Amino acid sequence: MTKNTALIDEHKALGAKLIPFAGWMMPLQYRGIIQEHNAVRKYAGLFDVSHMGEFFVSGKDAAKFLSYIVPQNIQKLEENKVIYCQLTNEDAGIIDDLLIYKIADEQFLLVVNASRVSIDYSWIISNKKDFDVQIEDKSDEYSLIALQGPNASAIMDKIGFKKENQPEFMHFTTTSLYGIEIFVSRTGYTGEDGFELLVKNEEAAKIWKNFLIDGEEFKIEPVGLGARDTLRLEAALPLHGHELNEQTTPIEAGLKWSVPKDKEADYIGKKKISNQIQNGVNKKLVGFEIIERGIARSGDKIVENDKLIGMVTSGTMSPTGKVPFGMAYINNTSLKINDTFKIDIRGKLHLAKIVKRPFVDKAYVK
Amino acid sequence: MIVPEGILCTKSHEYVIHEGDICTIGITDYAVEQLGDIVFVELPEVGTSFEKGEPFGAIESVKAASEVYMPMTGEIVEINEPLLLKPEIINNDTYSEGWLIKVKASSLDKDLADALEYEDYKSEVE
Repeated sequence: MTKNTALIDEHKALGAKLIPFAGWMMPLQYRGIIQEHNAVRKYAGLFDVSHMGEFFVSGKDAAKFLSYIVPQNIQKLEENKVIYCQLTNEDAGIIDDLLIYKIADEQFLLVVNASRVSIDYSWIISNKKDFDVQIEDKSDEYSLIALQGPNASAIMDKIGFKKENQPEFMHFTTTSLYGIEIFVSRTGYTGEDGFELLVKNEEAAKIWKNFLIDGEEFKIEPVGLGARDTLRLEAALPLHGHELNEQTTPIEAGLKWSVPKDKEADYIGKKKISNQIQNGVNKKLVGFEIIERGIARSGDKIVENDKLIGMVTSGTMSPTGKVPFGMAYINNTSLKINDTFKIDIRGKLHLAKIVKRPFVDKAYVK
Repeated sequence: MIVPEGILCTKSHEYVIHEGDICTIGITDYAVEQLGDIVFVELPEVGTSFEKGEPFGAIESVKAASEVYMPMTGEIVEINEPLLLKPEIINNDTYSEGWLIKVKASSLDKDLADALEYEDYKSEVE
């Protein structure tokens, strides 16, 4: 049985094309992926991302426990800050990537991927051991709405959440919008400035409808999962099941920036990660653009001098750059930006070139 | 679906407009609707021959690639070159400006008879 988010009636009323995704009926698109993508790059977009999971972790050992299950040092995290991290297994493979919010010294919120909620929950519980923590999966009680784009801050300001009170990038606060208490973080998955709002399910529709009305003069548009994927890909933000999986470490995935070098406490997967930091990796994630007409898709093979050297993880036509592009793992780690390889698309080899990631400049307000 | 009169459709959602032994082939508005924004078209070279049922090219939306299949055996006599630069023409007008290829059919009578059966299928997806 696929689940509906609290906003299903809104999506239907807006004429969304709905698809099952990670066990949920979700809007793929409303007026079209390219139009929605461009709205977020130029103005503002409103996303229903209520399929994401929310776990609350509390207790005396909460920080210590979280520091044991992710490479990041959660014991150093400040209140009202959000940090990007990964749940790693013994081989440092990525079980999921997630955001951790520090609400108070002994209280944290974890926002995880929809497709991984039950796997993550079991993993976390199985590693609880003697830690003094309580873990609650409240995914079915909360809705998550993302407001993204250069006009996001102005829309918030207009509805009374003044710019001077808005949290900085990777921070959050609680505020009252339309008379509803919400959690609001300066986070997102598009590469643009923006916010993510956590509200109780029963309040979600009121927030959603009012944003679309108040955001009209700022050219807000509802945006579906189709554009969410092209936006995150242009921003080179990884997606579990594509760039990330249980056989890939954060170092291989180019996420070394989210792995502190000086963390003394032990954590699951630390040995492999320390080893890779010291001795290097056998595969790496690269961004590419295709030079010879063609669009590469997830699973397409990468060839160099007749040798298979890797696999595409995500690929599409960039709505912003109007160029076919994507991300791939290659096992020839000596290849650098501007080096070329070939991608097998439907049996024909197409020349592609390694380019820097992200493919668009990020517009975070820090 | 809003398939105009005189157009035959295949089960894989190609359409055929038949004038003499030359057939114009494109994709149905149903296929266009399913694909969404079309961003890339791959077409065969003029002069190539294909068997009925073989893929002759691909149409790609932002989300995915779909191959397109020959409704009849024949030789490609013309391709719609403007699509290579402006694939969105298909989204705007698939039955006229958005055609893909013209084919000189080699065993038209039999293949068209098959295509006529597709008319029934058309009513199924409506």
